[in-house]
Amino acid sequence: MTVTTDSIEIHLYGCLRKLVKGSRPDEDTTMTLEYVENETFIELIERLGLKRSDIGDCFLNGTLAKPKDIVPKGARVGIFPFNMVLLCGGQHLKGHGYTRDDVDVDYYQ
Amino acid sequence: MSKVLRINMEDLSHKWQNVKPAHKTYAGRAFTSTILSEEVDPTCHPLREQNKIVISPGLLAGTLAPSSGRLSVGAKSPLTGGIKEANAGGLTGTRLGNLGVRGIIIEGAPKNSKDWYSILVGKDKCEILKTNQYAGIGLYDLIGKVWKDHPTKPGIIGCGVAGQRLLENAGVFGNNIENSDPGRYAGRGGLGAVFGSKRIVAVISDGKGGSRPEAKDQEKFDEARKTFVKSLNAHAVTGKLKDDKGEPYGGLKNYGTNILLNILSEAGGLPTRGFRSGRFDKAAKISGEAVHDLVDKTKAKFGDKAEGKYAHACHPGCVMACSNIVPYEETGKQHVSPLEYETAWSLGANLGIGILHDVAELNRLCNDIGLDTIEAGNTIAMFMEAGIIPFGDGPKAIALLKKAYDEDSVEGRLVSSGAQTAGKTLGVTRIPSVKGQALPAYDPRPIKGIGVTYATSTMGADHTAGYTIAAEILGIKGKVTDPRDLKKAELSQAFQATTAYIDSTGYCLFIAFCILDDDDGFNAMKTTVDSFLGEDIDVTSYGKDVLKKEREFNKKAGFTEADDRLPEFFKTEPLPPHNVVFDVPDEELDAVFKGF
Repeated sequence: MTVTTDSIEIHLYGCLRKLVKGSRPDEDTTMTLEYVENETFIELIERLGLKRSDIGDCFLNGTLAKPKDIVPKGARVGIFPFNMVLLCGGQHLKGHGYTRDDVDVDYYQ
Repeated sequence: MSKVLRINMEDLSHKWQNVKPAHKTYAGRAFTSTILSEEVDPTCHPLREQNKIVISPGLLAGTLAPSSGRLSVGAKSPLTGGIKEANAGGLTGTRLGNLGVRGIIIEGAPKNSKDWYSILVGKDKCEILKTNQYAGIGLYDLIGKVWKDHPTKPGIIGCGVAGQRLLENAGVFGNNIENSDPGRYAGRGGLGAVFGSKRIVAVISDGKGGSRPEAKDQEKFDEARKTFVKSLNAHAVTGKLKDDKGEPYGGLKNYGTNILLNILSEAGGLPTRGFRSGRFDKAAKISGEAVHDLVDKTKAKFGDKAEGKYAHACHPGCVMACSNIVPYEETGKQHVSPLEYETAWSLGANLGIGILHDVAELNRLCNDIGLDTIEAGNTIAMFMEAGIIPFGDGPKAIALLKKAYDEDSVEGRLVSSGAQTAGKTLGVTRIPSVKGQALPAYDPRPIKGIGVTYATSTMGADHTAGYTIAAEILGIKGKVTDPRDLKKAELSQAFQATTAYIDSTGYCLFIAFCILDDDDGFNAMKTTVDSFLGEDIDVTSYGKDVLKKEREFNKKAGFTEADDRLPEFFKTEPLPPHNVVFDVPDEELDAVFKGF
């Protein structure tokens, strides 16, 4: 797979691997998408045909992805499904609202 | 009425004692650390007669509270030289809880004895048995022999050949529910060697005639435990195996703790090839998803004969069931149980090994020899750092570890002695340890709060002592949570205190994933403890009290603030992909326990 600065590299996990035909759970599942200027993370998720409730903890270049984060050129985007999150509490406090919709307050700003 | 069993290995005697009134709320880690702080000279040699082993089931072990059957083992640690508590699932916690045993204190050591002993604990009875036939053999054989000799399905803990040879990475093994694997380890800190120093191979807990411990307010307790079960089952981390459509739901049940390998790699915090990178390009091959897939494939191929499992409970009554049984791909038979995240990391990513079979085999060998897997992986990494075997070479790592069976092999003894001893012996300067104990599976450079816990924990580098990972990366009440934020003292202290409380209740630490999300779950958990004891326990105060005793013990053992530091290379070598170093100032580290 060739990723240029004009594209972004998506890494998919769990049940989201099915977005790539022939994927396996014991191998990297990746796809390359065209870079879209000023695209937010949640717009990227929608471009993939996914809903907020489908996803868990996701990462933009290794940093937790928030819905309004802008996806940079050449980004590595890790997308985990709703049931794959860091083993943790505080889901409703993450501020991203993917796994719970009762977001109290976004302490991550 | 709970009792304390005190065993003297010098004259092979025992006596039953009542729980002291001052100790009535103590169990698990609170009990082990209190007894050690009151009865053991902190300056004593950990492998001689003055040290004591303290075994204590958590407060609620043996009750119907969900996931509450953990067992704590404590002693002065031969690996760190400080106080140590390690806890595990398995059968023994539940059995001792049912027998009404609050704790077992083992003191003294036989003089000039060449014999090996086992302690058989039953309902109002204790026997110290001469069991030379249990010594010098692999632990898979040992647990089979014990169940053959004692056909009441007892809990078993003890030490393997590494502990019998007094080697500092010897863990305390425990049999699993099925008695198919000795892999339920109170692994850290070399406590298996303390068993060896007292010539004890096994402590066998026969639950026959036992009964469920009764709560002071049983009605309230039952109501709370049921609420807590509902809360655990509804959570996406700790919840049910499949959703209503039959698709995987609960993260832990499906993928085990090893769900984390892909996530930490993606987050850039997975220590790889001796802490040189935060990402492992072969993470997927040894991940929880890979194990899930292997189990499904072997089930499809071998049907009822397949032994692989996920959603496997590590102790009776665990509703989270994050354990697994990894099968051989060729036969479907059990290879090892469990393969946890920390182990897949230490024996996989940390060594650059991306072949699931090789990682499982290294895990099986550790379980058989009696070694802590986290320390073992870090120790093998020292051989790789020194150029003796290459990073990524599974077969050579396996061959090295197999030398540990051979009593005459110097390499075998060295690979069983922990990363610090091996690293120093082999001329390595990048030794990832604090207070002599090697780091677990989260790199402290991009995730600095866990670095603060590693540095300041009373236990040496220990992720479970104050698991700030999720709070840092994802968020916690009232805290700024960027993992690169430097103000971590308060975060780490709060987590360390809460952890000490949970470690004393018998609850698995993983209940934290649920109770931090769900106030009803938290309140139900606390109510089970309070209604069991018949008094209101303040979680933080209780935990801080335990930490104070542990800090005081370590201070008397000679530890100072200078020991609360990470190795130098974490401060000087940036970790890709985030390219950050550990730059939390020393003053911030010292602030964690200011006033303790």
